[in-house]
Amino acid sequence: MNTLVQFAVDALSLGGLYALTALGIGLIFSVMRLANFAHAELVTCAAYALFALSAHPLVMAVAGSVLVAVALAVLTERLAFRTLRAADPTTMMIASFTVSMLIQKILIFALGSRPKSLDPVPVLSQAVWIGPAQVSLLKLVTIAVCAVLLLALTLFLRRTSFGLQMRAAAENFTMARLTGVRANAVIVVAFALSGVLAAVVALLFAAQTGFVQPRLGVPLMITAFVATVIGGMGSLTGAAIGGVLVGVVTTLLQVFLPPDLRPFREAFLFALVILALLVKPNGLFPARGLKERI
Amino acid sequence: MTALLQVDGLAVSYGRISALRDVSLQVNAGEIVAIVGPNGAGKSTLLASIAGLARPAAGSIRFRGDSIAGQPLERTVRRGIALVPEGRHVFGGLTVLENLRLGATIRGDRAAVAAEIAQYMALFPILSERRNEPAGQLSGGEQQMLVIARGMLSDPALLMLDEPSLGLAPRIIDQVYALIETVRQRGVTVLVVEQNADRALRTADRIYVLNAGAVRLSGASVDLRGKPEFEAAYFGIWPEGVRP
Repeated sequence: MNTLVQFAVDALSLGGLYALTALGIGLIFSVMRLANFAHAELVTCAAYALFALSAHPLVMAVAGSVLVAVALAVLTERLAFRTLRAADPTTMMIASFTVSMLIQKILIFALGSRPKSLDPVPVLSQAVWIGPAQVSLLKLVTIAVCAVLLLALTLFLRRTSFGLQMRAAAENFTMARLTGVRANAVIVVAFALSGVLAAVVALLFAAQTGFVQPRLGVPLMITAFVATVIGGMGSLTGAAIGGVLVGVVTTLLQVFLPPDLRPFREAFLFALVILALLVKPNGLFPARGLKERI
Repeated sequence: MTALLQVDGLAVSYGRISALRDVSLQVNAGEIVAIVGPNGAGKSTLLASIAGLARPAAGSIRFRGDSIAGQPLERTVRRGIALVPEGRHVFGGLTVLENLRLGATIRGDRAAVAAEIAQYMALFPILSERRNEPAGQLSGGEQQMLVIARGMLSDPALLMLDEPSLGLAPRIIDQVYALIETVRQRGVTVLVVEQNADRALRTADRIYVLNAGAVRLSGASVDLRGKPEFEAAYFGIWPEGVRP
């Protein structure tokens, strides 16, 4: 029973982080067909903002972190991706790599490559009991925050006029514009939302790892990108479920792999991903109308 | 008559391929104007250029006197032009009701929009019955009704329809054209691209025959009906002694 509860908490907290990151990537891909590898740097910069504001109250630090991630996301859209909207997806993907590398190098140049210690919410480092099982409070909070954000995003997309426009744009961008949906507004809001998601992930992830360094967001982004592929590129439901699924499988591998094979956990994970894609090449929830945009 | 839409000397190219050459046409307020012609004549390109989907290489497009050539799609919609493209293009993952609401994106008058949606649902009870189902599950005819209603919900002055009868059963085509007539009665001007020349002649006030990217013939439907020049221009075959 203890093991089961601990497993569930571990899997859902990791899956939640992957889901939020995958949604950040999926939001941009759905409206622009851009696989935005620079999403990693949104997480990293948001974590550095938390570090820079760590002497201030938590609310102020979190607000600052969200602001930095949103501003950076919107800025990358305006300066790097807007002029490339008509370009083919490969060009845009390479541009996103370039932006990612540029921001990483600027961070190294400005702040150094050594990890900096960061514990944004010390109170979360304690353990709590769920019945007979002892679990990390941070992981429980991670699950709760992820669930609330997923619910909020779902409500935004389902219940608001702008959410409807974003879903239409995700399905067929040109047709959406023909109904009067403003391309720039939809894309900027998608980038801003991905910035908010990145900042929340940065807070939770930095609290788990306890440090920040210039490549903090990269492994998270790569695994989340895999999650979006598993879920179905362009499908937001797919991104969320893919994220949780990858988290569950990663935790299962951590539990069931022999100790000497655990360092190779990611290799087993990606082998399973390849197998899954052989069976479902378009992912679990293929997006409608996957065609070029704008 | 007042020219709502005026196209002069329009040329559009896709790379080295010339899709439209020196096309001029006029659509007056309150008319139904049809553009007919065979496959590849440039009919859809013409509508696409007016809507802002294709950038003209030369010529002018004026709507209510203002130049709209090369404007972004969403701005054209806000000016009062709605395009229902060929192939219907419902948002298959959105419900029927959401598709209709999306049509009114540019409008702020929620109460009026809700009343209009109710009118279209009364006109097509199937849309009401299936309002909460994904639009992708509707039949071809039902989808065509939905996209026309969606186009109308932007409250356009000009509704452009690209091949609204394509792939539909004759009975459904009758319903689609009855709807087009209803649209006109509501004061909306209609520009329709149609391959079915007979249907166009029966419905439209005026006809433009497009062939190989150029206007070959134009005139009032009543004048063109049964004329050999019409067939000749449509098929690009010129019987001896007859030249457009």
